[in-house]
Amino acid sequence: MTTENTSKISRRSMLRTSGALVAGGAVLAACGSDHHTVARIGQTDEIEKLKDAKVTDVALLQTAMSVEKMVADMLSDKRMTSLADNKAQPIITAFAAAHLADLADLSPLVTARQGRPVNEANQKLMNSYGENALKLVDEGKNPTDVLALTHALESLVAATYQYFVSLTTEPALRGEMMQLGAKSARRAAVAAQLFNSGIKALGDQLNEDGTVVAGTIATFPSAFGPLNAVQVSLGPEIPEAPRANVLMDTPSLNSIIY
Amino acid sequence: MVNHQVDLPEVTATSRRRLLTSLLAGGAAVVAAPLLAGRASAEEIVNAPRDPQDFPALNEALKRERQMAATYKVAMKSATGDDKFALTLLSDHHDAYVDAIKAYLGTSAVSGTEAPLATPTGSFVSMAPQMSALENDTLVAHTTRLGTLVGLDAAKLIASIITVEARHAAALSLLGGASPLAAAGA
Repeated sequence: MTTENTSKISRRSMLRTSGALVAGGAVLAACGSDHHTVARIGQTDEIEKLKDAKVTDVALLQTAMSVEKMVADMLSDKRMTSLADNKAQPIITAFAAAHLADLADLSPLVTARQGRPVNEANQKLMNSYGENALKLVDEGKNPTDVLALTHALESLVAATYQYFVSLTTEPALRGEMMQLGAKSARRAAVAAQLFNSGIKALGDQLNEDGTVVAGTIATFPSAFGPLNAVQVSLGPEIPEAPRANVLMDTPSLNSIIY
Repeated sequence: MVNHQVDLPEVTATSRRRLLTSLLAGGAAVVAAPLLAGRASAEEIVNAPRDPQDFPALNEALKRERQMAATYKVAMKSATGDDKFALTLLSDHHDAYVDAIKAYLGTSAVSGTEAPLATPTGSFVSMAPQMSALENDTLVAHTTRLGTLVGLDAAKLIASIITVEARHAAALSLLGGASPLAAAGA
């Protein structure tokens, strides 16, 4: 019987080959340049750090301008004006003009602080909820949506200035901002009263179970100015389903105009 | 018979001890966490930026709010039904402002009661223009004060009052017979 003993030789040759390969690899690696065209684990290009964006008083004023312009644009939008009834038409026209006047009032405050006056709507907020709100108004074809959205927009502007007070460093500027905030709060109250008039509409109108009656707007929703997202129901009436709710937040770090 | 003694590695005993110690430490941390958290919150409140420079202006605001609340109380006396509901709502708001400013000032708050600014009588609609003017004067005075406040918390409080008092002024003006645009100040 002949016994083949090839396995022993194979193991040795395998070890030899492996050793040669490792050694060859090490030599090749040492000969390589520092510039690696193929990415290696643990090696990345230097990441450029983002610039620090500071929320300065100027940034807040510029953002306020962009919000005023956005609201003026939305109130003047054809989807709103074409749907407004006789009661709402003069209101939204006057309110849009008032926002443009506020925009003009803000401009010298910005330039006095070496800022850049803004005459464009806040695109981040438009993308976030403005365009959607107008689209829903258009789809719903419900004239009451005009005043509901007007109330929401005025509440949003008032809340924006109120929120900015907490970020503004210059005390005198806080007062100037709240002068504009108070104007919007007044307009919000008028829009709420035109939406549902009378003494009973001053506070929340409640059902017997304590829930708020759907489709009503309280003129005084709370004792203190709220800073939570402004909520408004808009769009088509769908049987057995609630209407679309649009949540409108005051500008945040990603929508401030730096 | 040969007895083989199996020596367990020392590390096991140590690990068990460590485990028990860790569990005890973890348990203690869990028990102490709410206490520490409560203490941290209290410290935050105590250390809130209250600037004594603001106290005179805030005491003026407190005085004005007491006067407004007293005026609504007078108006409520003769009111009934929905009129009473509306005046109570407005009065409650001003009471809330008094409480909030007093809470901010703490022991630095001036004490006492204030006389009403007017003696409104009749229906809500007949009183509304007068009350609207008083609300308007109040918010204008608060806005002027806001521009002088150094403390941020004080500024935030007064700003939140201004927002709603502007609503009061406009709604009262409208319900009192002004046109919507006049009431809005547009």
